[in-house]
Amino acid sequence: MREEEKKEKLFKRFGRSAKEFLYGLAGHDMTRFALKTRGSMEHLFILITMGDLLGIPILPPYYSLRLLPYVVPQISTWKRRMLREKDLTDALA
Amino acid sequence: MSIAEIFNKYPDRRYIEFGGKGGLGKTTFSAATAYWLAKQGHKVLVFSVDPQASLSDIFQRDIFGKGAVEIMPGLFAQEIDADRHIHDYQEQIRQKIRDMYGMDEIPEEIENYIQAAAAEPAMEESAIFDAVVDIVVGAQYDYYIYDLVPLGHALYYLSMASIYDEWIGKVTSLREEMKEYSQVAAILERKKDSEEDLILGELRYIKQRINTSSSILTDREKTAFFFVVTPEEMIILDTLKAAKLFSKYQVPISGYIVNRVIPPELAGQEIPEYLRRRIEMQTQYLDRIDKTFGAQVLTRVPEFERDVTGLEMIGRVSESLFGGAA
Repeated sequence: MREEEKKEKLFKRFGRSAKEFLYGLAGHDMTRFALKTRGSMEHLFILITMGDLLGIPILPPYYSLRLLPYVVPQISTWKRRMLREKDLTDALA
Repeated sequence: MSIAEIFNKYPDRRYIEFGGKGGLGKTTFSAATAYWLAKQGHKVLVFSVDPQASLSDIFQRDIFGKGAVEIMPGLFAQEIDADRHIHDYQEQIRQKIRDMYGMDEIPEEIENYIQAAAAEPAMEESAIFDAVVDIVVGAQYDYYIYDLVPLGHALYYLSMASIYDEWIGKVTSLREEMKEYSQVAAILERKKDSEEDLILGELRYIKQRINTSSSILTDREKTAFFFVVTPEEMIILDTLKAAKLFSKYQVPISGYIVNRVIPPELAGQEIPEYLRRRIEMQTQYLDRIDKTFGAQVLTRVPEFERDVTGLEMIGRVSESLFGGAA
């Protein structure tokens, strides 16, 4: 009995490792890409709704204000990214 | 067709608007229509979207920023205080930030933005626009009478709805695309659900508000829009131009009302040459109005011997406008 339990545990562990290995091989990069794209879009979104924060005039900001609370934590990283100087190494990132 | 007939024939037209250049009598007719409808036993709200509203003056009561005030049984009037609306709205946003992040104080950068936004030139119009949505979606009244701003502004107000609508449409589709990426990442990471996008929910809420407001203004079944004209050349020409622009925004025009008509029977009396000339000139322009707008000219309202202020005078205008018919 104990032998069998041990075997089963080993199989499960192997299964999990295989899954993670496959995810690392194929899925991880795709996930990273999806999240990175989403991050860029998030910044684009803030730009077209809160552009005024950088001095870019946008539509009457009445309804933008409604969205402001949701983007508060991202404002500083967004500003840094928007105002950063770009160079050749950006292409490699 | 008379105005009273229009109201009786189309009982579903419950959003009534009077448009025209400044000073032609939009507020007077808004008040007189509200008076007539209230006398018929309806519950009516007449409200002003003009930052320089004059409902307080015509009803001789200070109603500015006091919500809907009952003037007489069934007749309520409201003047929107845009500044206070903006102020309350800013405070709402601040409170939301405090609640969401457990902050005691709003970060300086964010606070500056909130304050700068309120100083934007179009903020006041946007705030009024939003306040109107609150009023009309409330559905507490049988009739809503918009005391509109003069022509140029009214067009701006209408176009604002379509611009906002387009903007929201674009922003929402970007947000939806972002959601797809989140879902892909969630699937790949074998998470059950991706996080709910609160911004997307908020955008849908805004879109629904804008659509409610603009769909009412342009709904042929629910809305009656009347143009106010006076027998003067410039006014006729301007009204023609405005009518074209309004039809571009699909505003359903129910008819034209001629105001400030000097009673023609005066011509038969002993009157100064000056007044006789004015009456002759007026006759020409009245003909021109009839030729230009044809059967859409609903009625002529005379120039009264005194200002229209107070309920008694409003009653007289209402009688002239609706023919005293029930």
